[in-house]
Amino acid sequence: MIELNNITKKFTLHNQGRTNISVFKNLNLKINPGEIVALTGPSGVGKSSILKMIYGNYFFQSGEIKINNYKIDHKYPRNIIELRKNTIGYVSQFLRVIPRVPTIEIVMEPLLEINFDQEEVRERAEKILLDLNIDKNLWNLSPLTFSGGEQQRVNVARGLIRNYPCLLLDEPTASLDNVNKDIVLNLINEKKDKGSSIIGIFHDESSRKYLNAREIDITKISHAN
Amino acid sequence: MEPILSVQNLNKYYGDQVGCKNMNMTLYPGEVVGVVGESGSGKTTFINSISGNLNPDRGKILINKDNEIINFLEISESLKRLLIRTELAFVHQNPRDGLRLDVSAGGNISERLMSIGQRNYGNIRQTIFKWLDKVEIDKSRVDDFPRTFSGGMLQRLQIAKNLVTSPKIIFMDEPTGGLDVSVQAKILDLLRKLVRELHLSVVIVSHDLAVIRLLADKIIVMKNGEAVESGLCDQVLDDPQHSYTQLLVSSVLQV
Repeated sequence: MIELNNITKKFTLHNQGRTNISVFKNLNLKINPGEIVALTGPSGVGKSSILKMIYGNYFFQSGEIKINNYKIDHKYPRNIIELRKNTIGYVSQFLRVIPRVPTIEIVMEPLLEINFDQEEVRERAEKILLDLNIDKNLWNLSPLTFSGGEQQRVNVARGLIRNYPCLLLDEPTASLDNVNKDIVLNLINEKKDKGSSIIGIFHDESSRKYLNAREIDITKISHAN
Repeated sequence: MEPILSVQNLNKYYGDQVGCKNMNMTLYPGEVVGVVGESGSGKTTFINSISGNLNPDRGKILINKDNEIINFLEISESLKRLLIRTELAFVHQNPRDGLRLDVSAGGNISERLMSIGQRNYGNIRQTIFKWLDKVEIDKSRVDDFPRTFSGGMLQRLQIAKNLVTSPKIIFMDEPTGGLDVSVQAKILDLLRKLVRELHLSVVIVSHDLAVIRLLADKIIVMKNGEAVESGLCDQVLDDPQHSYTQLLVSSVLQV
């Protein structure tokens, strides 16, 4: 379960004339286990900011965020690190990896945090890469030279290899063709059926419908623009 | 879980000059803390002061050794030396500062082993090979002098030399500093694997924010000898609150 209570979020740009950008005031949001929430609204309205606040990348000025009843508190970074290790999965829009590390190892990494059986983890990684149509010949190459769609699927594989109680998805299907998009959406549905609380940004309506997502239009609650 | 290293209100002056002041840090087992800032900001003074290379003027350094808290600045010099050889390790920016160039690669790796009393040649040799393998240096190079190694190999040898006695806390000052980017990527990958496999706790200094983002869990941003911002690494880099951190982050060139 993900809960946001009375969140205030603003950016202060000290080096650009101390500009203040208010994004949210009194933002409330709740995502139940086994539920998918889709954030909608034009770009710049704060959709990704919500995901980043939940993941802990973004600071917020007041209010509280609770993940399975654990508070996100930036005074205790250790707790956020533990939460990420055990509870929150995040599929970001962009792949950020160490150059020259093979794809298979990148996908294995989140699982190696909790499972030390290299072989078993490798099998799981191979399975999800196969499911996502990543050619076997690519597994031992770094994904940095892959196409946009392939990189995105590696990112998805990495985020979905584990069964996190909470999942944050930032445009997980944005640069995918229809076949691969359906595969990713089905994987997301599987996670939902396993009881994950899922919140995401999906640029097309058909994806949101396919996932049977509860849509929340951020334009109505955001203060940006 | 208890922190393995806790630094409280640490100060180091060079005469009237501030080296670093009011520095605080907690490091948990398995955690990587990055220290960033421009040159002259006090990063190296800080890491040297908490690793036994420099004597700080004020403050506390508490090391948790098997659930016993050791007050690092108040123990005897001999105990301190022992800790530095066993529990702590320091990886220098320039591997030539951390290696003996006129001793073979294998000799460099065995030095810490012998200093803690290992004498069995067969066992030592085996451990050397295990570590050469871990840092991807060919076994056939074991008796070669480090001066015949490339920069990247030297850095990997220095890492092996330091980690061979399974220290719990590793200090690294710009470990990828003088290396070209392809070698840097390899060292970063190696460091990440070692941190995970050996559950190392690391304090790493770098002026390269990309390196810190890939390795560190937490970050301390220094300016003029003081920490201006600290916290969760990607939060501080993605949503910096202090004007200096905002300046640092926005000054990075995009490739």
